[in-house]
Amino acid sequence: MQAISAEPLARDTEHRSRADARHDLLFRFLLRFCALLVLGTLLGAALSTLWGGREVLFKDGFHFLFSSDWNPVEDQYGALAPIVGTLVTSLIALVLAVPVAFGVALFLTEIAPNWARGPVSTAIELLAGIPSIIYGMWGLFVFVPFMASIEPWLNDTLGNVPVIGALFQGPPLGLGLLTAGIVLAVMILPFISSVMREVFKTVPARLKESSYALGSTTWEVVWDIVLPYTRSAVIGGIFLGLGRALGETMAVTFVLGNSYNITSSLLMPGTSISSSIANEFNEAVGLHRSALIALGFLLFVVTFIVLLIARLMLRQLARREGR
Amino acid sequence: MNDLAAATAAPLAGATSSAKIKVRDVHFYYNGYQALKGINMDIPEKQVTAIIGPSGCGKSTLLRIFNRIYAIYPKLEAKGSIELDGENILDPNYSMNRLRTKVGMVFQKPVPFPMTIFENVAYGIRHHEKMSRADLEIRVEQALRSAALWEEVKDKLKQSALGLSGGQQQRLCIARGIALRPEVLLLDEPTSALDPIATGRIEQLVEELKHEYTIVIVTHNMQQAARCSDRTAFMYLGELIEFDNTEKIFTKPGKKQTEDYITGRFG
Repeated sequence: MQAISAEPLARDTEHRSRADARHDLLFRFLLRFCALLVLGTLLGAALSTLWGGREVLFKDGFHFLFSSDWNPVEDQYGALAPIVGTLVTSLIALVLAVPVAFGVALFLTEIAPNWARGPVSTAIELLAGIPSIIYGMWGLFVFVPFMASIEPWLNDTLGNVPVIGALFQGPPLGLGLLTAGIVLAVMILPFISSVMREVFKTVPARLKESSYALGSTTWEVVWDIVLPYTRSAVIGGIFLGLGRALGETMAVTFVLGNSYNITSSLLMPGTSISSSIANEFNEAVGLHRSALIALGFLLFVVTFIVLLIARLMLRQLARREGR
Repeated sequence: MNDLAAATAAPLAGATSSAKIKVRDVHFYYNGYQALKGINMDIPEKQVTAIIGPSGCGKSTLLRIFNRIYAIYPKLEAKGSIELDGENILDPNYSMNRLRTKVGMVFQKPVPFPMTIFENVAYGIRHHEKMSRADLEIRVEQALRSAALWEEVKDKLKQSALGLSGGQQQRLCIARGIALRPEVLLLDEPTSALDPIATGRIEQLVEELKHEYTIVIVTHNMQQAARCSDRTAFMYLGELIEFDNTEKIFTKPGKKQTEDYITGRFG
């Protein structure tokens, strides 16, 4: 009796385990495929922009990178102004958004009463849901006139400070690198702050208590314990925001002023890689078109370098910490 | 309630040293729920006082009032008075900074900060005192020696504290606490996450430290209380049932509830 019932059971297990192995294999293959898909897309996009920009890159080589002369009428193309504009506006955005995001995230995790946490978090996430074209319109119709009205004041105050003074001198146009940077800051703020908020929540209460028990103030607990504990994730969040700022198109195009002159002033109009492409792609043919596609490729390169720097920074920090 | 106060305060007459901490009619509320009900006790100086009792009896809550660590959370409220050297630490005017340099705390699970071993110990000192690097190194070494950790870590002070074993991490936390030269050391179930050997070392350390510090230890482990404390308090459901010399508590307890608990009839 036992022998009869044991045999089908054994066969069943064997069958089952073979099926399991098959499913596992399939699942693993599927996962690998998903990962490869992303890599493939990235590589494809990079290569096709490189291919699209080959004419101008072959013709001008490094000159394309370092020249600030952009003149479609004479078929002269230099990418320096868009690159500088992209980096400067993104940098302004980061400088403004990171401290605010940090404050918002800390307020929400450490200080805010429970009833305030939900509504404030939702409000910030709604900020992330606003389409960039809306930011552009708001920037142009509301924020640009406002900036134009305070720029004379900036000229008189920050404009007279040594070293950084040159950054804040110029005609009160309203449009310009500073305005674009501020609009970008508002756009990336929710990304950075929600990443920070999520990771600050992961800091164990007992770690913070230990620090409070040594007589630390809230600021010291945050600066010495919460930040180091969450550092890599915080830097990750900042670079997520930076990545978005680098590639942002519509909002920036509206308020940047589309000028290929590189000046020392943040109040002057400029251009960025993505806004150049958006502005000119419609009427571009031949070498002009190739130059714009090459610009797109450069955006890849710039983003890649920025991420690389982030990686190196993290590794450096980890080493200094003694891990 | 007054009876209880009399009953618990009285045995101190026979104690050998004076009271470092005087707890008077302390009530504690978690968001309205009463967790401590009129606690009165005198904690003797430079002795080890153990607080035992079943889970949820309020022993950790009581400990967490002694350095007001509860105050970092909203909606927690303590009433009554706790005098440390004659000053009421529950008085809002009592400086938190001063309180926490006088009263150090070690938590249930070892919680090294995410920094090097040296920095873990130096961290607290830096917040309260300005001193040269050389002096700081001396202070860190002293603290690590007092915590019986120096020999094990002296060659890797620059490595992350997260690489230490659990027992070493807990001794590091003790070193961190005593680096500030506190007068009182609060230990909240300091060995509950450790293996027996590491536990033994911590208990030995407590024995050595009591010559310099007033120690209050909350523990789940009754043998631990019997082994390393001079006086033992038994708490149940937010009340202090009995507080007496450890030997007396474990040999001839005065209350039925205490006897039931230490003989394992409940808890």
